[in-house]
Amino acid sequence: MTDPQPAARREDGHDPAAVDRSGPAAIDVSGLELTYSDGTEAVRNVDLTVPEGEFFGFLGPNGAGKTTTIKVFATLLSPTGGEVRVNGFDVTAEPRKVRESIGYMAQETSVDPELTARENIRFACEAYGVPKSERADRVDELLDLVDLADVAGKEAEEFSGGMQKRLDAATALVHRPPLVFLDEPTTGLDPKARNRLWEYFRRINDEGTTIFLTTQYLEEADQLCDRLAVILDGEIVAEGSPEDLKQQVGGEVLDVELEGGEAARQEAADIAEQFDRFDDATVTETEDGISVTTRQARQHGTDLLVALRDAGFTVTGFNVHAPTLDDVFLAITGEELDSEAAEEAEL
Amino acid sequence: MSTPTDDSTAASEGRDRTVDRTKNTFVGDAWVNFKRWNLKAVRNPFVLVVSLVQPIIFLVLFTEVFGNVAGRAVSEGLPGVGYETYLVPAIAIQVALAAAVTSGIGLVNDIENGMFEKVLVSPMNRTAVFVGKTAAEVFRIAVQVSIILGLGVALGAEINSGIVGAAGIVAVGILFSLWFVALSNSLAILTRDQESTIIAANLLQFPLLFLSSAFLPLSTLPGWIQTFARLNPVTYGVDAARSLMLDRDVMTVIEVSWFGGTLDGVVPGLAVLAGLDLVLGAVAVFLLARASSSDVQ
Repeated sequence: MTDPQPAARREDGHDPAAVDRSGPAAIDVSGLELTYSDGTEAVRNVDLTVPEGEFFGFLGPNGAGKTTTIKVFATLLSPTGGEVRVNGFDVTAEPRKVRESIGYMAQETSVDPELTARENIRFACEAYGVPKSERADRVDELLDLVDLADVAGKEAEEFSGGMQKRLDAATALVHRPPLVFLDEPTTGLDPKARNRLWEYFRRINDEGTTIFLTTQYLEEADQLCDRLAVILDGEIVAEGSPEDLKQQVGGEVLDVELEGGEAARQEAADIAEQFDRFDDATVTETEDGISVTTRQARQHGTDLLVALRDAGFTVTGFNVHAPTLDDVFLAITGEELDSEAAEEAEL
Repeated sequence: MSTPTDDSTAASEGRDRTVDRTKNTFVGDAWVNFKRWNLKAVRNPFVLVVSLVQPIIFLVLFTEVFGNVAGRAVSEGLPGVGYETYLVPAIAIQVALAAAVTSGIGLVNDIENGMFEKVLVSPMNRTAVFVGKTAAEVFRIAVQVSIILGLGVALGAEINSGIVGAAGIVAVGILFSLWFVALSNSLAILTRDQESTIIAANLLQFPLLFLSSAFLPLSTLPGWIQTFARLNPVTYGVDAARSLMLDRDVMTVIEVSWFGGTLDGVVPGLAVLAGLDLVLGAVAVFLLARASSSDVQ
């Protein structure tokens, strides 16, 4: 494997203004607001600081404002309020300087299907002013990084979704940007392709590149990110390490499906709440049963099932799982996501 | 994930391999995009061929099927001019029109496959990006018009003004194509849909061609068609190209005698087309600027 992306960072030469700054943040946002012309408030009063070298996650359901925010950072949308500095540059006043210093991978895979993998990367090299003498090496290096060297001469339209994503990622890294934006980079990929991408992202972050990633998947954020912000309806509702957020959920989740109507669910919920083998359990009623969040979900889950059976309930199904985004939201906001978003959030 | 040690190693590595970034220049950015669109055109020879096939079919069929009848109508006004010679400039304009349609399709494809946004987020000059794309299309149109002229000559048409006139006809074709390039890009931005763009552009093509001086002298056509033809850009393109082909002033709409001779037929046509290019070009630039600055969703 050739050298992966080194952290070009401030030493790149094209960013002299930032060299003097003592420890400038990669992203510095205060009071960001974005209201679309139709009056939709996509983002409200977002404050955020992402230090250099951090792997930062922006977690939220569909339509929460993740993509809107990342597009403001990448100069594709103009904020309607607040101040956004990316690599020390103001996104509204100096968009070109921002564009030179970032890599951006859109949510939709963006490659030219009629060009080969090599040509796609070469085009990106030219677009980002990679010097001629460096280009050939850089293209080979990136093809190796994303494991596409074998198919470098094939047109991108022949690639699988995962391969196209990898190619897309490579084109976002041609100029060795100190900061990379990844907008839901693994949505729609199978687990194998996803794991592979995770590996690349980790590698470039290990080299010092700051990464700002949006995701709907708690697992993804958990695997990759140093720190997270949770966004809901255009507002940041929580911020911290993945551990912090899981702490807020307070354990694992036991879902129990029950026969009977609402009355039965209520009664079962009462039993679960008073169940003495769980300390600090949070119980909610779901569509077809109850959901119990507790640190002892795995250990004593079966005991609860037995207790429910003894009380005359018919358990038709059960499942213990790590907290999902839905559970995090439940813990943070005390309310359930609408079911559609929750489904999206299930990994 | 990134420990301080990692950071410092990486940073020093970065210093060791410090790479000077080549500044983006307008010409450079245009050139990069010019190359990309040419590469795409070569990758997609089907489009190149198809946009030539229809005009070639017109050229062959019209001369073979209508040659006798239409030739008589033509020779009434222009004695000694064969129908092939009369028709070739019109087909050249048709090629320019057909090729310009694909410009908008290219833009819609770019929007759909994300390349539009990818380009917007890069430090390339946005105007240069579109200049490069248009230049690639103009280049293709020049090649295609040249092919048609060669084919026409092979079929017996005569370019009376020689090689300079042939180059002039190519130039007229390019000037003519620009307003339709602008129009098809505007349609692309407004519809953001490949089929709508193709249908709208194709719907416009045939009325524009037939309700003009392209296939028959205006004087032989019904009054309402003559009226429409006077407002039709195709008439100005065809008449300018035809004046070069025949090496005499055959501009049917605007009568001037500033230069005496062929240029009296060419210059007014070019002036009208240039004006149209500017107006529709401005509309397309406005729409593109709006699309790239705000609601790229």
